[in-house]
Amino acid sequence: MATTPAPPPVTDKPLIEPSPTPYADPPPSPVGASARRLDGLEKVTGEALYAADFFPREADLFATILRSHEAHAEVLSIDTAPAMKVAGVVGVYTHVDVPGTNRQGLIKRDHPVLVEDRVRYKGDALAVVVATSESAAHAGRDAIRVRYRPLPVVGSIDDALAPKAPKLFPNGNVMGGKRIRKGDADRALAEADVVVSETFQTQTVDHAFLDVEAGIARWDGRTLVIHASGQWVHEERRLIALALGLPIEQVRVIQPATGGAFGGREDLGMQVHVGLAALKHPGKTIALRYDRAESMRARHKRHALRIHYTLGARGDGTLTAAKVTVFSDEGAYASTGPAVIRKASSHATGPYRVPNVHVDVYGVYTNNNPTGAMRGFGACQLAVAYEGMIDRLARKLGMDRVELRRRNLVRSGDAVTTGQVIPLATGVECLDAVMDRFRNGGRPLEPLPPYRRRGWGVSTICFGLGYGDGFPDASRAGVRFTRDGFLEVLTGAVEYGQGLLNMVAQIAAAELGMPIEKARVIWADTGRTLESGSSSATRQTYFTGNAVKRAASELKEEILDIAGTHLHVHPHEIVLRDGLAVTRFGEPRSVPIAELVADGFNRGYELSVKALYKPATLCENFETGQSPRAFITYLFVSHLAQVVVDVETGQVTVERYIACHDVGKAINPQSVDGQITGGVAQGIGMALMEEVVMREGRMANANFTDYILPTFRDVPPVETIILENQDPGGPFGARGVGEPPLIAAVPAVLNAIHDALGVAPHTTPCNPQRVWELLHPEQAEPPADIRFRTAPPHARP
Amino acid sequence: MPENVSEHGGAASPADDSIWHWRCKVNGQIIERDLPASTTLLHALRDHCSLTGTKGACEEGECGSCTVLLDGAPVNSCLVLAAQTQDCQVTTIEAMASGRKLHILQDKFLAAGAAQCGYCTPGLIMAAAALLKQHPDPTPDEFLQGMEGNICRCTGYKAISEAIRQAAQEWPTPPEVP
Repeated sequence: MATTPAPPPVTDKPLIEPSPTPYADPPPSPVGASARRLDGLEKVTGEALYAADFFPREADLFATILRSHEAHAEVLSIDTAPAMKVAGVVGVYTHVDVPGTNRQGLIKRDHPVLVEDRVRYKGDALAVVVATSESAAHAGRDAIRVRYRPLPVVGSIDDALAPKAPKLFPNGNVMGGKRIRKGDADRALAEADVVVSETFQTQTVDHAFLDVEAGIARWDGRTLVIHASGQWVHEERRLIALALGLPIEQVRVIQPATGGAFGGREDLGMQVHVGLAALKHPGKTIALRYDRAESMRARHKRHALRIHYTLGARGDGTLTAAKVTVFSDEGAYASTGPAVIRKASSHATGPYRVPNVHVDVYGVYTNNNPTGAMRGFGACQLAVAYEGMIDRLARKLGMDRVELRRRNLVRSGDAVTTGQVIPLATGVECLDAVMDRFRNGGRPLEPLPPYRRRGWGVSTICFGLGYGDGFPDASRAGVRFTRDGFLEVLTGAVEYGQGLLNMVAQIAAAELGMPIEKARVIWADTGRTLESGSSSATRQTYFTGNAVKRAASELKEEILDIAGTHLHVHPHEIVLRDGLAVTRFGEPRSVPIAELVADGFNRGYELSVKALYKPATLCENFETGQSPRAFITYLFVSHLAQVVVDVETGQVTVERYIACHDVGKAINPQSVDGQITGGVAQGIGMALMEEVVMREGRMANANFTDYILPTFRDVPPVETIILENQDPGGPFGARGVGEPPLIAAVPAVLNAIHDALGVAPHTTPCNPQRVWELLHPEQAEPPADIRFRTAPPHARP
Repeated sequence: MPENVSEHGGAASPADDSIWHWRCKVNGQIIERDLPASTTLLHALRDHCSLTGTKGACEEGECGSCTVLLDGAPVNSCLVLAAQTQDCQVTTIEAMASGRKLHILQDKFLAAGAAQCGYCTPGLIMAAAALLKQHPDPTPDEFLQGMEGNICRCTGYKAISEAIRQAAQEWPTPPEVP
């Protein structure tokens, strides 16, 4: 008789009981959860207070700034007497009234707060007017009489480098440079089977954050308190103190809710000016706000780069050499230009293995707006070039452009432009994920009429996060419990929409086993928080995230120690989760963390920990630009854009968009998704429409009518793919998101246009006029209707 | 004046505005203010009523940040003079929630992560409220026509579209748009 194994008796118990948890369904860790924004409620109800919202609730007096009428001139005299006669005006201040160095600038202190004797661009500030009403301040500003001796306007890189160009600074018009020398590029190019060359020109871009610069300041005789939106309150405090001649302890900078930054708030705006007005009127709260035109005329911009790129390869597509020469329009002052140049050079060959590299980058002063930080920071302009070159090379070789990328992308253990070896390179994985989604998804394509052409383009980039190049880069954070059982995170870092508050709160909550609802963040107030470095360079998740995790981890030791005495087990045998300390082994027993906190306070413990995260990067060799550790870690990203180009109107429509980012670990996936889609929208703007038009040093489109921004119609729903190859040094393995979404988007769109038209774009933005020029290289000028559809006013009939 | 010298400024101050006695029903409450006649609705709300939920950004009707409902219709409050709203009804973001109970659009914006920097959010919510009031189930064309006047610089629009779409699904029994 065949025997069948008896079914296990129903009474049989498994050897190990599933732990009866205190909750039916254990909640997920706060890290990796799309928790609602901590500042979301006040933002959807309109209660959040941005800098301009302190008007006129708090203002006693109103200030405004007189800007230069000339792009380049000697200032002969500033007659403030007519302004003082205007009813309501209580003070007019020029450079002689500034008590300190009267200089600002993040790297070189070359930018006068109020000009002494020479204006170098049309946004230069000459005077601050203070009045009892905003309209009186404006009337006073218009009444100031300024006499200039105009000087020739240096309106472009070519003007600046011309033999008889006027010297903008004593050392001439070249601000600085950076070089990379790796192997022998000239020889490798001579020996290459295939060589492609191109000159790219990227445009000047405005940050166009919606929340126009504003601020209030008050001097009570002891402390100058300034509420204004920046990106690095501690550095702002330092610069304000220097410019105004105050000890640093006497300046306090507090960041209000901030409506976008994108690098545009890294340089000081009106902080010193409103601070000066406050010093002159003790005990009064001074308010100052720009309008959109002043915001666009005064603020720094993204560098326009001219990039000469030569790329050599073997017949099988293996890259052998790159020779890159870049000229950057620095505008009137250095701003963060020297750092932008460095980042541009260190990303010159992107995520590709190129054994022989020769890069020269020069920054050139002009009388245009100063150029400085903007999302992408030099790396995005270079990505336009190297990704454009890969597609050109693929065409010349007759190779598949995806295959050519796969062949040359760095693998783990390979080195990038700076010579830095990448321990975990995931560019191929990103590219494959994007291509897989593209080929196996999406709606069926609508057939197109003959005058509309479809194409797709792909880009793969890498990005070194943090300041890099040996520049001191650190973040400090505090984590503490309050007596009412809240978990507080203290950081000097700035939230301007990117999701920093949730990032730090979720990391601290995860480390301490607290629900995110019990976490709150005190941020960006030099009077209450520690220096955390700037919210820029895609660095806050990695740097401040790590500092918070360290502090939380140390605080956790204290809580576990108290828990041990309550649960009568060794602290190592306790885990903290969902607000409870739970024994790890045996019958689970638990005690609420709030009880442990209360007990801790009763015993006199502080339950407050501060921590520093300061990893080392190494300064490069100045001759070769090579560094074993130029950046703390690299991000890998791949994007794909599918576009339709109307060859009659030149209009480009982005039909479909796929973006894959290896973020290490998404602390808040919804935030990560939002950063990616938002960066893509800005990339589409840079690729297709946004352009600051300068004419003889005057910004011709300092308004949102002529400076075209992407709308609902221009951005398809971005399909995001988030990879999580954890970074060994990142908090919970996270790297960050930040700038790469924009960097990868621009070349993806341009390569799609290349695919659709068979002609490769080399100038951004690729607006209708440029598309027309690509298609009609022999004709000098497009027809009027296309010129008119194209935004820049200089092109209009 | 020597040829190579340029002189600017010294302009006579513009004559003071005449004063307009503005009377308007804002968020259900009758408000009376004496304003310079050139005051826009945006500045009347922000600077004279402390209703700073309505944001100014471009102040020339391009970005929609200042959208409010004027007698139920969405307008760019930067392009409307306060004097043009005499005895009209104006609804701003401050009237959308009742107490701590959020309007459905606010709730969906919050859940979808549609507010990042949040500066465009009040204008978007007002524009979306007007859109859904007119087209409770908007077609893609109606959606774009209703929303294209609002610029968001941070989010890339995906989460916003998603939030409005979700609000539309629950729209048949929405809290009343005031």
